Amino acid sequence: MMEEKDWVVEAEQLSYTYEGNEKKALDGISLKFGRGRKIAFMGGNGSGKSTLFLCMNGILKPQEGRMLINGSPVEYTRKGLLDVRKRVGIVFQEPDDQLFSASVFQEISFGILNLGVDEESARKEVEEVIEKMGITPFRDRPAHALSGGQKKLVAIADILVMHPEVLILDEPAASLDPKHRKLVRSIVERLSESGLTILMATHDVDYAYAWADEIVLLHEGKVLRQGTPRQVCGDEKAMEQANLELPAVMRLYRQLLRRGVIGPEGEPPKTIEDLERRISG
Amino acid sequence: MIVIDKLCYQSKLRYANASEKFVYAVLTLILCVISRSVLTAAVVFFINVYLTVAKGGIPFARYGKLLMIPAAFLLVSTVALVVNLSRVPLDAFAFPLGEWYVTGSVSSVLEGLRLCVKAFAAVTCLYFLSLTTVVTDILGVLKKLHVPGLVIELMMLIYRFIFLLMETASAITTSQNSRLGNRDYRTRLRSFGGMGSALLVRSIKRSGVLYDAMEARCYDGELKVLSEERPAKKKEILCIAGYELILLGLVIWSWIR
Repeated sequence: MMEEKDWVVEAEQLSYTYEGNEKKALDGISLKFGRGRKIAFMGGNGSGKSTLFLCMNGILKPQEGRMLINGSPVEYTRKGLLDVRKRVGIVFQEPDDQLFSASVFQEISFGILNLGVDEESARKEVEEVIEKMGITPFRDRPAHALSGGQKKLVAIADILVMHPEVLILDEPAASLDPKHRKLVRSIVERLSESGLTILMATHDVDYAYAWADEIVLLHEGKVLRQGTPRQVCGDEKAMEQANLELPAVMRLYRQLLRRGVIGPEGEPPKTIEDLERRISG
Repeated sequence: MIVIDKLCYQSKLRYANASEKFVYAVLTLILCVISRSVLTAAVVFFINVYLTVAKGGIPFARYGKLLMIPAAFLLVSTVALVVNLSRVPLDAFAFPLGEWYVTGSVSSVLEGLRLCVKAFAAVTCLYFLSLTTVVTDILGVLKKLHVPGLVIELMMLIYRFIFLLMETASAITTSQNSRLGNRDYRTRLRSFGGMGSALLVRSIKRSGVLYDAMEARCYDGELKVLSEERPAKKKEILCIAGYELILLGLVIWSWIR
């Protein structure tokens, strides 16, 4: 097991209610995540995913409970918040809500300058992330002439330039075309390999099942289930309560198992490719 | 406006140093306006057209159309200057109208023409800037000129979000049209009002999320950004300086003549 100090994000009995609302958006949420993990958040609209993310980076201050980053509680002072926001970056769901400048270069330079980096090194960092994210071909275009996928890449670069330890992605693949969805996912994979802790909200059960180390099911501001993808997706009751279908590969696997096409030995497959391999032996 | 913005991003002069272009446009504009000679204005006009169209690669037809926009205003105001209503006919032209004449003097006709040429030349200065220099680059120059940060930040945000606002407005209009929302005058009015309120509500929501997103990136009240700088070229600076000196000479000549 991991040492206690290895928890990078920790929520303790977190509750948050939006002003003027009766219902709690977050209702006593307790979660902790280890460094370098891939965590998928699932749950319907209004289940509290976005609110939880905003708490994680100090935008919202929970009325009850506390948030810990790297083992120390978030301090809601100027300095404390700066520190938290440097460590935890959020890529918002809608790039148009995040990009405020028409110039890609200006846009990306914003975060790093706010960290107090001098201009020279900031310029270098921005160039680096533009190169790394494959933004070069459209870097000179204004934001309003970029496609949805390109805007998404810029939105991710916005955060990466600040070198966070935790990257939060709020439905990164929503409303992207297949090409850019694939691209964004491969970037996420690469980032994860480089040691970043990644928290992602998604509605794509199949993807979450195949990608994540851990899945958190949220429902009406509460944690319905947290565990490995096999544990969570295997819990049919919880999945149904969260209005989620079982992953296609899991349903198929169960059928094949029942009909005796494949044997029960080994772990259940995570992807269709895995299953194909199992079937063909 | 959108057309100018699009053309500007395609201009071949887009990557020239923004300060150079800004100084060129402003200096030329000032000299053109204070000069008393038509010759200065004519030179300014042709050089600007050459730079914007030939060097910048803006299609000539497009440029001509853009020039027609201020032309309409210009002609109307020139007519007001040139044409008089008087009991006595003046020397240039006179049409009787009962006991009165619609008339003008030679000197006022000449003055009107001079003004026209000058105004056109001034417009080409501004077109040069707006058709070769991207708004975000102009903001960089303004920053160097120590324009207050708040003004620049506002301009930056407005420039970015005006496109989003228009996109949203046109999407709403399309969806209204597809539901016969513009069938007659009454529904048109109602649809327009509906669009207005929808835009307001969405804008307020958007600004909230934008603020969160900026805070998430450690925003602390000042929109700090880096501008991309293109190096100024010695040759270009020399050309601009020489040209402005010639213009200055023309201006002085027009004064002492």
